[in-house]
Amino acid sequence: MTLDLRALTIRTEGRDMVQDLSLSLPTTGITALIGPSGCGKTSVLKWMLGILPPGLQSMGDLLLDGSPINRPHPALGYQPQGDALFPWLTIAQNAALGLEVAGLSRRAAQAKVDPLFAPFGLAGTEAMFPAQLSGGMRQRAAFLRTIVQDSRFVLLDEPFSALDAVTRLRMQDWLLARLRDTPRAVLLVTHDLHEATSLADRILVMAAGPGRIIAEIPVTTPQDRRREADLAPLRETLKSLLLEDLDP
Amino acid sequence: MTIPRIFAPLALFAALLAGWEAYCRMAGVPPLVLPPPSGVLRALVLHRAEIGGHARATMAVAALGFSLSVGFAFVTSVALHFSHRAERALMPLFVASQTVPLVALAPLMILWFGFGLLPKVLLVVLVTFLPMLMSLMSGYRQTPRAFADLLFSMGAGRWGVFRRATLPSARASFLAGLRISATYAIVATIFAEYAGARQGLGIYILSAKNNFRADLVLAAVVVSACLTLALLALLRLIDRLTARGPEARNDA
Repeated sequence: MTLDLRALTIRTEGRDMVQDLSLSLPTTGITALIGPSGCGKTSVLKWMLGILPPGLQSMGDLLLDGSPINRPHPALGYQPQGDALFPWLTIAQNAALGLEVAGLSRRAAQAKVDPLFAPFGLAGTEAMFPAQLSGGMRQRAAFLRTIVQDSRFVLLDEPFSALDAVTRLRMQDWLLARLRDTPRAVLLVTHDLHEATSLADRILVMAAGPGRIIAEIPVTTPQDRRREADLAPLRETLKSLLLEDLDP
Repeated sequence: MTIPRIFAPLALFAALLAGWEAYCRMAGVPPLVLPPPSGVLRALVLHRAEIGGHARATMAVAALGFSLSVGFAFVTSVALHFSHRAERALMPLFVASQTVPLVALAPLMILWFGFGLLPKVLLVVLVTFLPMLMSLMSGYRQTPRAFADLLFSMGAGRWGVFRRATLPSARASFLAGLRISATYAIVATIFAEYAGARQGLGIYILSAKNNFRADLVLAAVVVSACLTLALLALLRLIDRLTARGPEARNDA
């Protein structure tokens, strides 16, 4: 199962925000989409999900196994920036939200969510509200909400950007472990070089004005052997690509 | 040991009453002009049955008008939320309706609809409707974009997003609007009764004033303030009982 985005152009106020952008996601693995602020990476993600804000015109195709799909589509899961947990719902209710929206009864949705609390490190938080949890725990709950929907493709929009540095590192390791248990194809939008190089199997570098992909870099070092020293040359390459594009 | 929050306002209120009582006694102010608090209390106790009957009539009108207004404001807010065209067309009319002075409107309502329940209820609806509508609409707009995006991406429709995210997001704003409207409801009812009624605190105040019974006027004012406070307390109770998540804990 592959997801192909072909020739996407997003226009706003008479100019191209994103121009002729194509990418494809394989069945598993993490693809990082990295670029400076304002290059349109979040808009690409929102277009894929069918939630592009009104006022933006778009052209392009999204193909699932070669066939165009209507969005929203159950094969595509989404985690917005931050955690977007609803403060008035308990963690269990938040986790089951996507299943209930998809038509499952409350009881059936809870029955599907409950066994995942322990493996996600959330045991005992079921009846708590988001405000009672730390940032890292909230991210786990948000990720549980996304994973439990069984979407083959998971689109994460800067999921760890609101966390402190130490929690972010922990959560990155935790995410890799969860993806080993429940493999998914992940498109990770980020502007963090460290995050992209630590997590991704492939990095797509976007440039701004108009937004386009300027490089595709595979990360061949296995995730369990990615030491800081090994990743330094890759980060240098990415840094020079991003800075080069910013220079007039 | 911490001092309860209610202590400071109660102490201030008691000091004001004591000052008022002392002024009336020491300056020899005639009770016809300004009765002391003890005189107001005495009048309230002596005429409790009479004032109680009028207060019940006022509360019935205020509660009915307020309930209708809440329902009407909610239905209208949902309609306007889903139709921007209707919002653009109707909001200026609703706002303009608030510019009509009550002083002019109350007698006209009596003229058109008589001395029965209808004109008073209509007046209460007219006065309390807009604050609630505005607070609901403002609450809807406070829904975080990420919540709506998330629900849309899960396959929810516009109604699903409204039910699951927009409406709960508007809760705090709606309750603030309810509290403002609740205070208006009693005042509007009394004003409507003042313009013409058979029963109610408004007509009681008018008749007491015409008989130069300032003590009874003030006794009725005390009761009307108590009615408003009771309505606010009821809303606070509903707020606490229905609060979820951080709101519940903050209020506890």
